[in-house]
Amino acid sequence: MGKGAMKNKLTRKTFLLRSLAGLGAFFGLSWGTKAILNPIKPTIKGRILGANHQIGHLLRNLSSPQKAEEKQSEEIIEVPILIVGTGIAGLSAARKLQKAGHKNFLLVDLEDHIGGNADAGKNATTAYPWAAHYLPIPNNEDKELLTFLEEQYIITGYNSAGLPIYNEYHLCQSPQERLFLKGRWQEGLIPNYGISESDRKQISDFLALMNQYRQAKGTDGRWAFDIPLALASKDEVYQQLDKISMTDFLSQHNLDSEYLLWYVNYCCRDDYGITSANTSAYAGIHYFAARRGKADNAESNAVLTWAEGNNFLAKALSTDFKDKIKTKTLVTQVNWNSDGVEATAYDWDKNVSVKIKAQRIILATPQFVNQRILPKESIQISTDLFQYAPWLVANITVNQIPIERDGFLCWDNVSYNSTSLGYISATHQQVSRDIDKWVLTYYLPLSHKSPVEARKDAIKKTHEEWTEDILTDLESFHPNIRETIEEINLKILGHGMIAPMIGFLSSENRKLASRNIDNRIFFAHSDLSGVSIFEESFYQGNRVADELLPYLSIS
Amino acid sequence: MPILLLFAVFVIATCGLIYELIAGTLASYLLGDSVTQFSTIIGVYLFSMGVGSYFSKFVEKELLAWFVKIEILVGLVGGTSSSILFLVFDKVASFRIILYFLIGLTGVLVGLEIPLLMRVLEKSKFEFKEIVSKVFTFDYIGALLASVLFPLLFVPYMGLIRTSFFFGVFNTIVALIVCYQFSDELKHKIALKISAWSVLVLLVIGFILSDKIMSWSESMAYQDKIIFAKSSHYQRIILTRNKRELKLFLNGNLQFSSTDEYRYHEALVHPGMASRQAIKNVLILGGGDGLAVRELLKYSQIQHITLVDLDTYMTDLFKKNPLLTSLNQGSLTNPKVKVINTDAFQWARNTNEQFDFVVIDFPDPSNFSVGKLYTNTFYREVCKLMSDEAVLVVQSTSPYVAPKSFWCVNKTLQSVGLLTQPYHCYVPSFGEWGYVLASKSAFHVAETYVPDLKFLTKDSFKQMAYFPKDMQSVQTETNKLNNQILVHYFEEEWGKVQ
Repeated sequence: MGKGAMKNKLTRKTFLLRSLAGLGAFFGLSWGTKAILNPIKPTIKGRILGANHQIGHLLRNLSSPQKAEEKQSEEIIEVPILIVGTGIAGLSAARKLQKAGHKNFLLVDLEDHIGGNADAGKNATTAYPWAAHYLPIPNNEDKELLTFLEEQYIITGYNSAGLPIYNEYHLCQSPQERLFLKGRWQEGLIPNYGISESDRKQISDFLALMNQYRQAKGTDGRWAFDIPLALASKDEVYQQLDKISMTDFLSQHNLDSEYLLWYVNYCCRDDYGITSANTSAYAGIHYFAARRGKADNAESNAVLTWAEGNNFLAKALSTDFKDKIKTKTLVTQVNWNSDGVEATAYDWDKNVSVKIKAQRIILATPQFVNQRILPKESIQISTDLFQYAPWLVANITVNQIPIERDGFLCWDNVSYNSTSLGYISATHQQVSRDIDKWVLTYYLPLSHKSPVEARKDAIKKTHEEWTEDILTDLESFHPNIRETIEEINLKILGHGMIAPMIGFLSSENRKLASRNIDNRIFFAHSDLSGVSIFEESFYQGNRVADELLPYLSIS
Repeated sequence: MPILLLFAVFVIATCGLIYELIAGTLASYLLGDSVTQFSTIIGVYLFSMGVGSYFSKFVEKELLAWFVKIEILVGLVGGTSSSILFLVFDKVASFRIILYFLIGLTGVLVGLEIPLLMRVLEKSKFEFKEIVSKVFTFDYIGALLASVLFPLLFVPYMGLIRTSFFFGVFNTIVALIVCYQFSDELKHKIALKISAWSVLVLLVIGFILSDKIMSWSESMAYQDKIIFAKSSHYQRIILTRNKRELKLFLNGNLQFSSTDEYRYHEALVHPGMASRQAIKNVLILGGGDGLAVRELLKYSQIQHITLVDLDTYMTDLFKKNPLLTSLNQGSLTNPKVKVINTDAFQWARNTNEQFDFVVIDFPDPSNFSVGKLYTNTFYREVCKLMSDEAVLVVQSTSPYVAPKSFWCVNKTLQSVGLLTQPYHCYVPSFGEWGYVLASKSAFHVAETYVPDLKFLTKDSFKQMAYFPKDMQSVQTETNKLNNQILVHYFEEEWGKVQ
């Protein structure tokens, strides 16, 4: 029995108070120590870049007729052909014209750089993409595209069987894809680790079904699914698929595996920026069934990619006409008569109005822009049916590769439980080992709400809020990533890409939208295809150049 | 007394949960799959506490003395547990057995303590309901504290080893206080005090030396004394020495032993060198230890040697350290030698120079970034640097342990249009080791070699070029940037050995 035991008998009150005091002291100590060691919670460097939407809104204001009148015209340019927009479609059209011997054209773009969705940034470590970042090896029937790739030495030759040999610096290097599922990394993006036999079977049944569609041809002798989409079979049986959603398509086939649904939804969000419930089944299947690329030195599902993403291709397209591009120029109005076209533009760098007088004009711009710059009465279609998916893209500079015991950095890194599409590693194609900083390009399609609402929400958020969202997501599969981050820069692509929602691809509207007006105004943009991929933009550019060429030879 | 004993309950509960969390964290960290590790560790720990509680009834007398003994033991076992686990992780096959044994032991001891304490308190004529209420209140508060502080404070600022010692010290201090407070009631109090003090000293030393233990756990991986250890930007460089030999490890992989490296380097350099007459300009890619250069400098006809190695630390070490310069005979500071510290792939892509002999001595293709240096694309770049008569030699891992890897290098060299001559030799430190010679025109086996070689002769090369049945050529794919198949082969084949 201790000395003075009874003396120290606790009353309930003192006991509680002391416990609380003890706890308080411990917490105080804990926070105190933390505060001393780490005085300020580090805020992550970086900002929201590219005030795209601000320039866009400028367009909305300037294009009202009265406002345009107010501006004094200060610069007049005369050129036979004006191309508005330097995305892939505009650049492809220009390349085709140039190759056909028509060198008198001018390209204008509202941004301070070319590329449109094939935009890129650069820091001390590496270039990195701001949107489109790869090109699957194309179908070998797409000769125009193969020719372009040959010109650029992306295809270095053909083997004896006629299969293209790709430049191996441009083929995506191994290891390509990994998926974080059930607490570990697995190779490839199709869920595999730890899933049941019936899930596996459904996935393989689905892939087999997609393969059937890939091999299928219509009664018109065309492929059921093809790239460019315009060349695909017109058979009703395939067109009908545009009337239902991809989700409905799956349930019609009794496919309900959670993992398969995740994968298909992932693919829809990846390629179209919308969920499988909003994607037309035609578009959903198109993703899996329209590619039949073959190569001498790569698998048929191989992709071509570059640190700067598809900006590499944009630069390649413009190799021969760099001097004919005028950036920082916002076209606000287009009018025409039997003599020609007149575009009113605003050079926001020099702050002057520009009048461009041309014979013909190619609008390589999305329909929501065309709607603003063309006179209302000339628009024959309902542009509201053209819906665009908003995206967030973040480029994250880290000073350490996120490595876990069971994983290694791949080109494409995806987590099953994430709302994002994961990230790609911009330095992946670098052959040098001499890298001390890495850039991870993080993609988040804002598909949780309708495009209009999601766009509004996205613009309101601050850099800090976005950064916290992104980190919460990344930390769920890279617990220690926060302290390795040096900088996060963001871009909100308010109208990131055309969304092939139910019924859109088969709509009359879409088809009408690519018809020229009075042989003066021509249209080229991937939204006319309904699918926002490089091949379609390239096709649209070439199509419009072909359409234009007869008029050029006459004049 | 009660306040002291209740404080003891509090400390025990906190420490107990901390040991459990440390074990869980450590196991997740070392073994991966945190869900499994935490679940099984919590399970084993709680079950062991049950076992301890059960056995507490067999302790009849000397309750306080037993309590003190157990407390000291908990301090010792819990305090040293994370260091032990770190140190044995690399060394034992059945790491899990040790892990669960330590967890079980801690659980049993902690499980014994609370019932014992309750009985001590009972004897001090407390009401049973009071005892139960107070003991469990303190127990659970302790648990809460531990679970909150562990992730917020201890893991980030102390690390696992130091935290573990820190709480061991707490346990032991409780034991000591009880010893002194209840000195009159304890038999063998001197023995108890001595053991408590010695455990305390041990734990305090451990606490102070925690950082050393972390690096020591690495040094235990090496048999010999480490005489140099440094992490460069790219790799961990370790140099060890015993009476007989000096060894270099990069990222834990043996690069050479001074006793038999001559075999490796003679075999690397001389078959290629002796096969051509007019070799004047030589390129070495990798080989920052300067040992291949030492062999090359035996040829007076060579005018220039360019060595491209990524790691400045490596080449500086082999230029300056007297032990190493005596081994490479100061080759890296020879006026004929130019050292370039840059990435070999990048460099090869951007160079126009022509070489008559190219030696490729890269680390084994154990990861994707090194794997790129064994691809057809890389060899194509190297071909551009080779004059028409030039010879290339590539160290190509072991054809005995990793036949697919070895023959894959051979196949990849052939795929870019080179004619190859594979060969191998026995290096005691490494086992059977392989090389591939490659050239644009047919290869001539050398008739004579420079005189002062310890290993290679015209006859021995004939044997080296012969591949017995267990190392014979196997079908493989070509290693390319877009398949990195060699890294897969290498992992598959060496994975079986290690």
